[in-house]
Amino acid sequence: MKNTENRKKRTESSSLLSNLPSRNRAGRTWQLVFLSSTVIGILALTALLLNILDSSFGFVVLHAKTDPATFAVDGVALEDQTKGQLVSLLQNELSRGAYNKLENEKPFADRSRAEVYGIVIERLVKYDVQETWSLWQSVTRSGEIRTYAAGQYPGDKLIFISWLTTDFVSRPQSSEAVTAGIRTAIFGSLWTIFITILFAFPMGVGAAIYLEEYAADNWLNRLIRTNINNLAGVPSIIYGILGLAIFVRLMEKMTSGALFGLVDPTTANGRTILSAGLTLGLLVLPVIIINSQEAIRSVPQSLRKASYGLGATKWQTVWFHVLPNAIPGILTGTILAVSRAIGETAPLVVIGASTAISIDPSGPFSKFTTLPIQIYQWTARPQAEWRHLAASAIVVLLAMLLSLNAAAIVLRNRFARKY
Amino acid sequence: MRKTFETEIQQLKDELLVLGSMVEQQIVGSVEALKKRDIDASRRIYEIDLQVNARRYAIEEQVMVAIATQQPMAHDLRLLASILEVSGELERMGDYAKGIATINIRMGEQPLLKPLIDIPRMAQKGADMLHRALTAFINEDADAARAIPLEDDEVDNLYTQVYHELMMFVIQDAKTIERANWLLWVAHNLERVADRVTNICERTVFIATGEMKEIRATDDENSK
Amino acid sequence: MTETNSVFETRSLSIFYGNFMAVTDVNINIPRHKITAIIGPSGCGKSTLLRAFNRMNELVPDTHIHGEVLFEGQNLYEKNVDPVEVRYRIGMVFQKANPFPKSIYENVAWAARIHGFKGDMDELVESSLRQAALWDEVKDILKQSGLSLSGGQQQRLCIARAIAVKPEVILMDEPASALDPIATLKIEELMQELKQKYTIVIVTHNMQQAARVSDYTAMMMLTGETRAGTVIEFEATNKIFTRPSDKRTEDYVTGRFG
Repeated sequence: MKNTENRKKRTESSSLLSNLPSRNRAGRTWQLVFLSSTVIGILALTALLLNILDSSFGFVVLHAKTDPATFAVDGVALEDQTKGQLVSLLQNELSRGAYNKLENEKPFADRSRAEVYGIVIERLVKYDVQETWSLWQSVTRSGEIRTYAAGQYPGDKLIFISWLTTDFVSRPQSSEAVTAGIRTAIFGSLWTIFITILFAFPMGVGAAIYLEEYAADNWLNRLIRTNINNLAGVPSIIYGILGLAIFVRLMEKMTSGALFGLVDPTTANGRTILSAGLTLGLLVLPVIIINSQEAIRSVPQSLRKASYGLGATKWQTVWFHVLPNAIPGILTGTILAVSRAIGETAPLVVIGASTAISIDPSGPFSKFTTLPIQIYQWTARPQAEWRHLAASAIVVLLAMLLSLNAAAIVLRNRFARKY
Repeated sequence: MRKTFETEIQQLKDELLVLGSMVEQQIVGSVEALKKRDIDASRRIYEIDLQVNARRYAIEEQVMVAIATQQPMAHDLRLLASILEVSGELERMGDYAKGIATINIRMGEQPLLKPLIDIPRMAQKGADMLHRALTAFINEDADAARAIPLEDDEVDNLYTQVYHELMMFVIQDAKTIERANWLLWVAHNLERVADRVTNICERTVFIATGEMKEIRATDDENSK
Repeated sequence: MTETNSVFETRSLSIFYGNFMAVTDVNINIPRHKITAIIGPSGCGKSTLLRAFNRMNELVPDTHIHGEVLFEGQNLYEKNVDPVEVRYRIGMVFQKANPFPKSIYENVAWAARIHGFKGDMDELVESSLRQAALWDEVKDILKQSGLSLSGGQQQRLCIARAIAVKPEVILMDEPASALDPIATLKIEELMQELKQKYTIVIVTHNMQQAARVSDYTAMMMLTGETRAGTVIEFEATNKIFTRPSDKRTEDYVTGRFG
């Protein structure tokens, strides 16, 4: 009896062992599947980066409207002339009004030679882009390109340039590809995001605290919670329409700044940074609420009990224990939400972000453009050079995003103290 | 629930029964030996007493292990504490029997003062009470335990009878005083045995009900 | 037990979670400056009853009670009684040590501070830690996190934290169930010290612990058709563990329950 039982046990265990190789095989297969999905993701990201970088550098044929040789003085070529010579050249060639305007912006005495030279190139020589090549083409077929350019554009300059330069970042928008920059867009983006955070962070955290700590668990609050989750999934264009209706139209007096007497009421309208910031704020609000709720919920119940057990009020419990322990999670959620807002284009197009703006925004009531809008607009142009500029702007946008995130992570780690 | 512990308790009860029957044997045997003036039989009582003592210590040891390892509460605690107490009582009864054996040995060649009639009866009665008291104890039968001490009167009466009888001998002939004293001492030991049976019965009631109080048949002090 | 020596007195106390009756018809008096243990099988409502003494049950939505809980003659559940004040006067120590993720010093000082303590905080912290028999172990590391202590030390820190607000009663919900035997004994010793000044009510699963530390024991059990917990026997601990009068108590304390 006992023997047969033992034997039965042994056969059972050996049948378990017999399928061990197949179990191990299944495990390895799945591991491979997971690895390949990771690899595909990494490849996609790399392709994106390469594509952007490919467009950010390369050969370009520049045609000068006026041959620089014509500005040679006493046999001294333009690029070798002194600052004084260049200034007098400008004085001679530009109209009086244009010269005085430049002088008013910044006296020529204060400008460096390089700056003055830049103005000369921009105003007098006036380069025009004829044809461009990507980095890959430029590197692999440079000889071919040289021969082609020499034949096709005799007398024009073929140079290898980086579209992404400090000038590009610091120049305002322009209608010429050679002189176009993204400073206005960067400021626009920063202002908008600032407003977004200012609006959405306190609102989101406040709502999360209420829903988690105060709201009773009844059908109404459950409905609200469910719908906040739904809102997080609503397409951003819908928020644009909402923002257009509410902030741009309905609250025009306020969003245009007319209510506060800060702008000229005759020309002001609601298509301002404030409207954009609030719209993006609405867009990310559900995400911030959900993430904050999650963070608050993850604060151990035992801490709340300890606090109440000592006779603390609800608010003291929330303020001294729940929030400090939830803040790293709340910040993480906010960072993710704001990153999304920085890259948003659709709602801003709807509420009417301008594209051709060369004046830096000066406050919440300014007209504005943002980096994604600028990129979107540039990629839509038929000429190849704008696509190169768009690629460079994308590099800047990515850098901005990463540095904002990094700053937020540092901030979060400071909150998540050693205790 | 608590199989191991219950087995342990059952074992202890069995041990206690064995100890009890040995003591019964001692009591009856010691008086028998005296009656027959059989010195060798009395010496065997001595040997039994050594075994009784050893068994009592073994029981004590086992009880303490059970207390330490099982942390008994309430009824279990009362039972274990009582087993400790009862094993002590039994050992003491054994000592009384041993005392009777000692008297037989000390008497040497002296004949008995009188043929023994009531003293063996006392021994029989005491052993019988002890047997039933232990049975009641093992069964935790409070009613039976309460009834047994009533029979103590019978033993006390026998003791009084023996006492008067022996006094008569002494009054008639003062020289019999030593031999009378031997027998008086034997009777006294047997009377004590019965008293201690009462203690066992009190423990039984305690285990069963948790009440700790003396059970008294009649007032012992007056009857003496 | 005379009326004046009772800190708590419950009158026909029943506790409900929604429609579910967890505890029913409890009538006990908790004596002053004594340790009262509440024992009973799992799920019989021991902790629920304990939390009724400082209205911690209300943290669970939909909890309500019938009957009265008198604290120094005052019904804790009357409308004008603020639960915050109740919890301030009746402190609590939980099953799992739950120090705040703050320094040891802050753990003790925090509650006193929010209650507007104006005196010498250093002194308060020291005396609380001393009373909790923890001072010698932590006096040099007061700035360290409360979470850096061992489990037993954390629990004593929680006791120090409760003492710091100078409560009249300390409720303990299985305070040593997560501790090793040595740490448990330290807590138990500490309780004997504390009962000079405070009334202590402790819920414990460990009967030996109840037997060791408490003066009085309330035995709880699910009863009746509703299967709600109630106190079936409330007696001096000595009696409960040697001569319980209820058969169910007997079965429970001898380990033959169920």
